[in-house]
Amino acid sequence: MTRDLRAWLFLLPALSIIAFVGGIPIAINTWHSFFDILSLDERFWLGLEWYQALLTSERFYSSLLRSLCFSLAVITIQFPLGLFIALSLPKSGWVRSLGLILLALPLVVPWIMIPTMWVSLVDLESGYLGRLMAWAGIDFDYKFNALHTWILLLLMDTWHWVGLVAILACSGLASISPAYYQAAAIDQASRVQVFRYIEAPKLKGVLIMALLLRFMDSFMIYVEAFSVNAGGPNGATTFLSLDLGEEINGFNYGPAAARSVVYFLMTLGIVYAFWRIMRAEKSDEVTA
Amino acid sequence: MRILKGLGFLALAGFILLPLVQTVMVSFTSTLPRDEMDLGSLTFLNYLNVFRTERLADSLVNSIIYVTLNVTICLAVALPAAYAFSRFRFRGARAVFFALLAFRVTPTVVLSLPIFLVFAKVNLLNTPVGVALAHCVFNVPIAIWILESFISAVPREYDETAFMDGHNYRSFILRRLVPVIGPGIGTAAFFCFVFSWVEVVLARTITITDGKPITTAITSLFGFNTDIGLVMAMTTLSLIPGLAMIWFVRNHISRGFTIRV
Repeated sequence: MTRDLRAWLFLLPALSIIAFVGGIPIAINTWHSFFDILSLDERFWLGLEWYQALLTSERFYSSLLRSLCFSLAVITIQFPLGLFIALSLPKSGWVRSLGLILLALPLVVPWIMIPTMWVSLVDLESGYLGRLMAWAGIDFDYKFNALHTWILLLLMDTWHWVGLVAILACSGLASISPAYYQAAAIDQASRVQVFRYIEAPKLKGVLIMALLLRFMDSFMIYVEAFSVNAGGPNGATTFLSLDLGEEINGFNYGPAAARSVVYFLMTLGIVYAFWRIMRAEKSDEVTA
Repeated sequence: MRILKGLGFLALAGFILLPLVQTVMVSFTSTLPRDEMDLGSLTFLNYLNVFRTERLADSLVNSIIYVTLNVTICLAVALPAAYAFSRFRFRGARAVFFALLAFRVTPTVVLSLPIFLVFAKVNLLNTPVGVALAHCVFNVPIAIWILESFISAVPREYDETAFMDGHNYRSFILRRLVPVIGPGIGTAAFFCFVFSWVEVVLARTITITDGKPITTAITSLFGFNTDIGLVMAMTTLSLIPGLAMIWFVRNHISRGFTIRV
């Protein structure tokens, strides 16, 4: 470990920027969360009052539950589907390239445009999907029917992100040497056995990564959910982030600061759990 | 079996392309009653209107400025950091990786108020520079991971030969390393570009009066009598950088979502 200091010198610029736009803002925000902020100059010490109010409010727990349900639904839909797409794509050739490009398309669309595109798509008068549903006699009403709002959000989120799961799975599969498949063919292994003993172990690492990214983004979904129905109807799609957005937009800086801290701590907890799993996975690979 | 796979592929293509086709079609349609043309007729008018409306054209320029600035900053600070992770073993490396991971996935809505308050103090609100800096919070980790994986593919002997030739770290990285990891730098640049381009919460929060990005400009088009054709023309324009990016990094797409521990 003689090279300690040199390494830190190389890291200094990157770490300073992250501290400036990540660490320091969170620290200052934590300090703010102990006050009642009337203006930037006038404030009163409150201690943990905002936290107490937040953690004893029923609304917090119902939003938490909704967000967990949404994440669970997202993962249940997108992981099997993404994995299935990755396993079905040919290993080489133009179909594969075209498939990967298609899967990547939704990932590069600005997030705010996605709800606009989907709302326009399901419009009963002018949208392709909307007209199809009107023709089939389905009265799709994402504004006032909670189930329909959920369906639209899940459909939209799947459109946006299933490509991420599939692309990561593809990269995991691509790292398997053809020799393994040849050996399996000689042993007359079934498709299920090939998946279980050859593909699944190689996919584990990338899928854990995909799970972390997908869980965090769906758990804290904001832009898409807000633009489709602003948390409605009747709060049926009020997820964690929408509560925070509402407080920020309403200039409720004290409660918003406390809520940001609570959400950040939740994020840290989740990241820590995944980090432990990833490290365990990595040391398995080294010893195997 | 082949036919089934073909049908499956078509279904996937249809699902992905449908919203995009609708968007592009509407962008070429007149969607407001106008004297000189019928509602629903095909036209380039929406695109002309984007460039005729000053705040829309301005927002395109703003977005391009902060995204380019963000890519430059990210590459400049991530290159030495990635080199350190690839070549040095040092105490605290794990802790740094954990911090990078945490900030990479922290939702922007959670960071928006803290960053807003800090930027208000140091006069970084309402400028593309502020947005470019804010987006570093998730883009610097991404750039470090991508570059580190490319640098680690270069054998250590390459460094040592250069040092014997009299290069110091700085001249080695700039003159010798950068040319051989060119594809890595390209990949990192494109992913920073795209992640900054698609982000909306931070960009919107810290530009209230000025320097507004394309995403805010689009939201502001919604109102009592929304010209949805104009909205879709703007949306279609906003897709172009992403499309170009996919083409350039088509062989490295999975790297953009890589997490290293």
